[in-house]
Amino acid sequence: MKARHVAALVVAAAPFLLGACGTAVDKKEAAPAATTQAQNVKNVSEITAGSTFNDTDVMFLQMLIDNQQQGQQMAQIAAKRAGRPEVVELAKAVQVTQADEIKMMTNWLTEWGKPATLDERTSLHADHGGLPATSEKEIAALKTMKKAQFETAFLNLFLGHQHNAVEFAQLELSKGGNEQAKAFAERVKQSRSDQVQQMLKLLAG
Amino acid sequence: MRRKIAYPLATLGMVASTLAVASSPALAHGYVSSPPSRQALCAAGTVANCGAIQFEPQSVEAPKGSKQCNGGNANFTVLNDESRNWPATTVGKSATFNWVLTARHRTATWVYYVDGAAVATFNDNNAIPSATVSHTVDLSRFSGRKTVLAVWNIGDTVNAFYNCVDVNIGGSGSTTPTTAPTTAAPTTAPTTAPTTAPTKPTATATATATTAPTRTTAPANGTAWAPGVSYRTGDVVSYEGVSYQCRQGHTSIRSWEPGIWTLALWLPL
Repeated sequence: MKARHVAALVVAAAPFLLGACGTAVDKKEAAPAATTQAQNVKNVSEITAGSTFNDTDVMFLQMLIDNQQQGQQMAQIAAKRAGRPEVVELAKAVQVTQADEIKMMTNWLTEWGKPATLDERTSLHADHGGLPATSEKEIAALKTMKKAQFETAFLNLFLGHQHNAVEFAQLELSKGGNEQAKAFAERVKQSRSDQVQQMLKLLAG
Repeated sequence: MRRKIAYPLATLGMVASTLAVASSPALAHGYVSSPPSRQALCAAGTVANCGAIQFEPQSVEAPKGSKQCNGGNANFTVLNDESRNWPATTVGKSATFNWVLTARHRTATWVYYVDGAAVATFNDNNAIPSATVSHTVDLSRFSGRKTVLAVWNIGDTVNAFYNCVDVNIGGSGSTTPTTAPTTAAPTTAPTTAPTTAPTKPTATATATATTAPTRTTAPANGTAWAPGVSYRTGDVVSYEGVSYQCRQGHTSIRSWEPGIWTLALWLPL
């Protein structure tokens, strides 16, 4: 009688155990595989980060998602308003790559059971004494700026914005725990630094 | 969309205090992007081997009152090094200086010095800078090559941010375009600088591509992907044994190589 009960429980539990194991194994294998087997990933949202993470990983992703959502708005405006094709093209390339990155980062946070949006906590910023480069006000200014001034304004604003992304990435590289998130931070650091180079040259020429 | 900007401020605050203790690179701030300051030339890869400043041109922060290009900040002495032959930008009788800000500090003043004397002061009365910061400075008293020291005096800290901007005053015309002229100091041939950059080979490639928007390097279909190349939609490259087709025209940079992270730019074939 007793033995049967145990057996029944095991049978009943088995699918759940399998499910749980299956998920865990997938997560662990997906991360390293993602970096080496290009053909197997057909969508950026399939890149997974594994299940171990620390507070810096979460903060980095939340801050960068917010940064890139603003970046999407800025790039969208630039794609419409910039005069030179090189500026339009850079804006469009930033738009498509960062749209994918937002999806990927949001998925990682969802898997970790963390919100992809930032809490509202206004009181602490006084510690730093400076507001970051971009707020609604600066983005709004891009929309109303005269065309003749637009490119210079956009490039200077977006330079500051991408410098901020590099700063977030530096933080993740020094204090993050998740290997995939750190690998991503290295890519952010490189791509944004190179975008800075492109933009400074576009300003100079 | 709900505004959620407050949290980064909070986290930046936390980050700033932790970093301050560890004396790591200070977060944020600002620099003159055009006409390019010395730190902007380093960040752009136009002047090579600048050291740490290349990655944080916004960080030339030091106590107020210095007249040095680095403001006395020992981390960035390269900015004081006149032997680097900093390329000078040709400007007219006045020049418009444009700033990149990575943190919008309350601002006391923006001051521009030539030959040690203040030639222009813009008083912000402790306000937070507006979306874009640019100042037009009358330089008609001067001619030839000069180094303008541009200083951002912060309102709520003891510090300032320092920039040296090398200009060649007295180019034709009485007004200066807001974008720096491309004909900057041809005699100093700044384009030769990046080729000597052993630490960052891609800087050279990027530089070449961005200064040559009329694509001189039309890649044959199927050639190996490289940074600093202007790719157009439809171009086919190979990378690590896989062929990819360009889905969005762009000038290639590090970490935009074809692969799983950049499917928005490159479609595997």
